[in-house]
Amino acid sequence: MDPDYLFLSVQNISLAFGGIMSLNDVSFDAQKGEILAIIGPNGAGKTSLLNCLNNFYHPSEGKILFKGKDLTRLPPFRIAELGIARTFQHTALYTGLSTLDNLMAARHIHMRSGMLDSILYWGRAQKEDIKHRQTVEEIIDFLEMEHIRKAIVGALPHGLRKRVELGRALALEPDLLLLDEPMTGMNVEEKEDMARFILDVQERRNISIMLIEHDMGLVMDIADRVIVLDFGMKIAEGSPDEIRNDTAVINAYLGRAEQ
Amino acid sequence: MMDNLDTLPKNLLAAYEKYGDSKVAMRQKDLGIWRSYSWEDSYKQVESLCLGLMEIGLERNDKVCIIGDNDPQYFWAQLAIQAAGGVAVGIFTDSSPLEIKYIVDHSDSICVFAKDQEQCDKLLEIKDQLPRVIRVVYWEEKGLWNYQEPWLISFRDLQAAGNKGNLEQPGLFRQSIMQGQADDLAVFCYTSGTTGVPKGAMITHANLIAGCDSAQQADPRLDSDEYLSFLPPAWITENVLGLTIHLRTGMLVNFPESPETVQENIREITPQAMLYSARLWENMMAMVQVKIADTSLINRFIYKLFMPVGYKVASIRYEKRTPVNVFLKLFYNIGKAALFQPLRDKLGLTRVKSAYSSGAALNPEVIRFFRAIGVNIKQLYGSTEAQVHTLHIGDDVRFETVGVPSPGQKIKISESGEILVSGGTVFQGYYKDIEGTRKAIIVDGNGQRWFCTGDAGHIDNDGHLIYLDRMKEMITLSSGEKYSPQFLEGQLKFSPYIRDVMTVGGEDKAFVTALINIDFENVGRWAEKRGLPYTTFVDLSQKNEVYALIRQDVERVNGTLPEAANITKFVLLHKEFDADEGELTRTRKLRRNLLYERYMDMIAAMYGEGDKILVKAAIKYQDGREGTIETEVHVASMEKKEV
Repeated sequence: MDPDYLFLSVQNISLAFGGIMSLNDVSFDAQKGEILAIIGPNGAGKTSLLNCLNNFYHPSEGKILFKGKDLTRLPPFRIAELGIARTFQHTALYTGLSTLDNLMAARHIHMRSGMLDSILYWGRAQKEDIKHRQTVEEIIDFLEMEHIRKAIVGALPHGLRKRVELGRALALEPDLLLLDEPMTGMNVEEKEDMARFILDVQERRNISIMLIEHDMGLVMDIADRVIVLDFGMKIAEGSPDEIRNDTAVINAYLGRAEQ
Repeated sequence: MMDNLDTLPKNLLAAYEKYGDSKVAMRQKDLGIWRSYSWEDSYKQVESLCLGLMEIGLERNDKVCIIGDNDPQYFWAQLAIQAAGGVAVGIFTDSSPLEIKYIVDHSDSICVFAKDQEQCDKLLEIKDQLPRVIRVVYWEEKGLWNYQEPWLISFRDLQAAGNKGNLEQPGLFRQSIMQGQADDLAVFCYTSGTTGVPKGAMITHANLIAGCDSAQQADPRLDSDEYLSFLPPAWITENVLGLTIHLRTGMLVNFPESPETVQENIREITPQAMLYSARLWENMMAMVQVKIADTSLINRFIYKLFMPVGYKVASIRYEKRTPVNVFLKLFYNIGKAALFQPLRDKLGLTRVKSAYSSGAALNPEVIRFFRAIGVNIKQLYGSTEAQVHTLHIGDDVRFETVGVPSPGQKIKISESGEILVSGGTVFQGYYKDIEGTRKAIIVDGNGQRWFCTGDAGHIDNDGHLIYLDRMKEMITLSSGEKYSPQFLEGQLKFSPYIRDVMTVGGEDKAFVTALINIDFENVGRWAEKRGLPYTTFVDLSQKNEVYALIRQDVERVNGTLPEAANITKFVLLHKEFDADEGELTRTRKLRRNLLYERYMDMIAAMYGEGDKILVKAAIKYQDGREGTIETEVHVASMEKKEV
């Protein structure tokens, strides 16, 4: 691979809602296969940044290059096809469907058979269905969801829904996974499980992960690099150790002593 | 063909030669699909694994631990260890690193099979304290891909090493199997150790095979039978009723997809034989009742219509043992199609021939419920040290007993009332614990070895064993005789008319007495049905008819016990035991000391002459006011007929 190849490059993006600058001239790069954490106080612009990445919001200025393509002009579904998947702070699943169907639905972008094929469900369509089911089953195995395979998602507890959502994002077979607070509302054991899954995803599938998380201990444990936002601006970037000792970060979190 | 199939690996070899690739040996659900392994697959897996173990230095008599869920790999690992002449030591998957360390260290194991990342992490945590362990073998590779730890080796890599060895020395595996002897140690089962540290029960191949053959005599399994392996494989029961029977009969063993999917997988497999704990059967019944209450009107109607028919037919069939009349039978068959069969389908019980319950005594209500839908649950009583001691055979199922001695075993009651077991299944002793072994096994004049169970029991006239309690929970009377409060109270509470009981006895008492709380609702309904007028709880509880009703239950329980342990007198309390007054804990357990003090007069009266006692009790009304009630409470004596 070309050493100069940039996997993801966010270049000087700004986003304004009326007079409020949600993101102000933010730039950073991400490498293939790394876990990048975005942290910052409430309202720092973390979710806005993720929303820009899959073009839920359109930045007023700047460019986002993913595998060399500019994302800012593309609609969200095209971005999914390019290989960016995400999960949401508040789970957004088909609550009336089973875990299996939620995951199968995510395979939609990889399906090639047409309507007629699917209605007849013969030959190509059937073969394709089996192939996708195999992929989905591997994810179910990977995330240890066998026991909820056929359970209706709406009836599952919060921690498991988060897991289903991660599964659905993986079913897209993305190159970049955006996780918006994947561990909120979980107990310690569920958090540990989720952290293990995230590490496994990165390790086994070589997927880059960008995640927003408030549990600092966890972030510092699993992230390769950390970016800190405050009032829409990037105030620091570096390894967990560097961030831990960064004065700007300490000030943003703890407040500055009056001089 | 070999004639002497006296070890588990020899049985594997024989089954492989008999079935080869033509019959499925095991099945496991993986990625949503049931995958099959033929006897040949199974045999080859064990072969390469066994040679791999020899390659890394396993010698005869070495011990190897296994920590894992029910997977084919668990069984293969165990057979590979045994084929190499080693001893398999099972460890429960929920053990802490500290517990694992104790067992691995105490058993002198030189290698550990640990299923997955979770178990491997536990072992890595204690690596420094396990100098003897050469290698840790894992079979679930997830999460372990990037571990740079030469101590760990995957199942596959170990097998690859074994296959290489096989090319160099063909026939080594078979030769090693043939070296095995019936009296070789096969497994160590560490007992849960509610008292002190766990003890490793040493069990030989002969023990396991004796247990299997005994079970086959009592209730034969066929090679067309399906079995779902979900009991912990570190437990003796799974070793005998699962693995050994599998090897000796060809019974197909299915493994659940994950420990969480057992219930679902049971429904898919519908095994012919299953063993649940008493608790699980009770939960199953409760689950059905809750779900029926929530279901549609039509379903509820069908349930209400046919359930009584099921109960009636079951009671005629099993309790009265008379033929069922034609009309009832017809109605029952409609019920079967409309209700019983669908219910059994939901529970995975459509094909079950042998349903067993172990652990605590099973409530007769539960037995009646399952009989009504067509499943005859039998009780089974056993231990790690001597496997299955007694069980119900055929239709000879009695609520209050745990059955008759399993074929080939002998049961006797020692002078102190302890249950002793003898037979081919009695273990060899505890590993590195001479003192413990000496206490557990006694040899009689004829050279017969008896295992002392530590349980108290009693054999009735039909040869059924009645399990009372652990020996140390028994209470001694002034006569020196013992009785079990747990058994008496538990059995009495199985009556729908009795809500709570406290038995009284002790070294200063000549006989056993009981304070009984009637179940107001059920007794009230019973009284209404017979046109028996009553006003309050106090009034109802002191009716002669109610005394007569409860007396029947006391007689029933007394009938199962030697006379010295019988309840001689009882009173029906004028009020219910109340958690608000501190008489019960919030989980409805008796606060014995407090009750003893509060009802001292009444207890004294039962040991005195009179048959009535005047009670004055302070009561708290719901609105907070306090008052006293004054009433007469009868003392019923079981010796006189009239109250």
